Amino acid sequence: MKRMIRPCLAAALAAALFLTAPAVAAVPGVDECMDCHGDKTIEKTLPNGQTVSLYVDLQAYRSSVHGKGSCVTCHVGAKAPHEKLAVVDCGRCHADAAKSYAMSSHGKARAKGATDVPGCSDCHGKHDIRVPKDPAARTFRLNIVGTCLQCHKDQALEQKYNLPGQQVMIAYQQSVHGMASSKGGLTGSAVCPDCHGNHTILPGDDPKSATFRQNIPTLCGKCHSGILEKYEASVHGRGMRAGIAESPVCTDCHGEHTISRISDPSSPVFARNIPKTCSGCHDKEGISSRYALPKKRFSSYMDSFHGIAVEYGMTKAANCASCHGVHEILPASDPASSVNKANLPETCGKCHPNAGPNFAKGNVHVEVSPSKAMGVFAVRLFYTLFIGALAILFALHVGLDLYGRWSRRKENGPGGKEGQS
Amino acid sequence: MSRADLAAGNVIRMSLLFRVQHLLLTVLLTVLAITGFALMYHENSLAQWIIRLEGGVHNRGIVHRVAAVLLMANLVYHAFYMLLSREGKPELRQFFIGRQDIDDFLQSLRYNLGMAKEYPRFGKYGYKEKFQYWGASVGIVLISVTGIMLWAEEFSMQFFPKFILDLALVIHGYQGLLGFVLLYLWHIYNVHLHPSVFPMNPSWITGKVSAEWLRREHPLEYEKLKEEGLL
Repeated sequence: MKRMIRPCLAAALAAALFLTAPAVAAVPGVDECMDCHGDKTIEKTLPNGQTVSLYVDLQAYRSSVHGKGSCVTCHVGAKAPHEKLAVVDCGRCHADAAKSYAMSSHGKARAKGATDVPGCSDCHGKHDIRVPKDPAARTFRLNIVGTCLQCHKDQALEQKYNLPGQQVMIAYQQSVHGMASSKGGLTGSAVCPDCHGNHTILPGDDPKSATFRQNIPTLCGKCHSGILEKYEASVHGRGMRAGIAESPVCTDCHGEHTISRISDPSSPVFARNIPKTCSGCHDKEGISSRYALPKKRFSSYMDSFHGIAVEYGMTKAANCASCHGVHEILPASDPASSVNKANLPETCGKCHPNAGPNFAKGNVHVEVSPSKAMGVFAVRLFYTLFIGALAILFALHVGLDLYGRWSRRKENGPGGKEGQS
Repeated sequence: MSRADLAAGNVIRMSLLFRVQHLLLTVLLTVLAITGFALMYHENSLAQWIIRLEGGVHNRGIVHRVAAVLLMANLVYHAFYMLLSREGKPELRQFFIGRQDIDDFLQSLRYNLGMAKEYPRFGKYGYKEKFQYWGASVGIVLISVTGIMLWAEEFSMQFFPKFILDLALVIHGYQGLLGFVLLYLWHIYNVHLHPSVFPMNPSWITGKVSAEWLRREHPLEYEKLKEEGLL
């Protein structure tokens, strides 16, 4: 054993000398850099009078992902001592990230010379860069919202670049996603880059953006894949994939940054809010005529017992989703639809166990017109006319009675003189 | 009729039992109308205010149903009383509608237009009272039947298709409206605003009317009582 160790050691020593000796001669090592940059008071003054500390925390650097390297790996060509150094180019090693960053809104603005948009170090740090998996990293899932908000909570920047307002950021922080990560500490919850991308962040109106309308189902489906599958099979999903931009995507019903639990009364998909959310599209004249959808869905529902009960907070009563489904909504003409005539006894039977096949005879919450609901229309018309006619006849009779009594007020007898008592 | 009543010229028109039934009807119909129209016109802000006052749509339903049960009990009691009791049977007979009532109606029109000399001579109940009585009775039966169907919706669904329940709902609501019109335009006029009784006919509280009023408005009844020696 000993016979083998000695030659190995010798070889290692020789290799070490051979590798480091030329470097020492040409460029400074970490120790030499730290001779100056280890001094906590070292600073430089910018042309605008601001002072910037040039201190480098060696310990933070050593524990960073680059900590085993040397200063000159990034600060190429640095000497000791040195004048102004060249800008660090992370893309020398991280070519893919640099390429996608260059395509992003941040990268494009920076290429135009903006210095207040984030570069690599603004999100990843400088000497203390850690891998995103490291809980101490700025890009760790639970820390990244704070990192993005460093800039996106700045109202000056918000105005300068026409960024989404403060409410959006606050809304996210209070949303089910924001709360799950900040309060719950769950790393599975969506944080900014999950939806907006990390290096290739683009505005939502750019077709290449992950948050572009058409890309949203796929985007949400990254985490909610079971739901995506149901949605894709639904009439909404099929319409969306067929290029009908009016078909709802996830955010149309759930909101964007505001996404909250269905049990949250402020959620657009909370039982009480669902009729309003659905009718946001289904009560629009244009949409119902363009896609030949039945009309008056909202008012006819709100006039039903279900609608009234839901309006007054009885969330157990059926809302749109109770009968039509949630993500798997299909037109009534589809045999697989929960509101297909053949399936109605079962669908209604979820709440009304006695709703047999008998119950499916008749239309559910339709516009009261002769073609859609003849019986109800006729009875309503009859009563309206009958009550109206009766009221007029009553009024006439009363008027006539008063007239008769008044015109014979001087005579004796009923309605006569004494009748005025 | 006591001696004192006769001395004061008073005639009993509504016995205590009828007054109790009438008072129950008044209170219950008012409660049912308030709770019912609040639901029928739920999009109206006044209706919404009423529903909140009643403690929400659930409690509104309870109030409505309690009043409905009492009203139906009142109706059943009244039916039995009219059909079987010693006091009710002759009363019911006087409520029958006959040829005379149509003649009376037409004659009252002619009289008021100045085309007839004499106003119709009514018995205890004239066409106005009869119309009121049967209108209310038929209306309450209809509204009760549809109300029970809607209340027992799980039961109804076994037997009726959905459109029958839809119809029941429409009939229930509009029948209520019809009753309301009948009460406000007809009954209130006849018993409160009519010049012969204004500000009101006290018989619904005291049960009594004056012999003089009876002579003028219901002369046949007056003469009958006189013949019987009751006046």
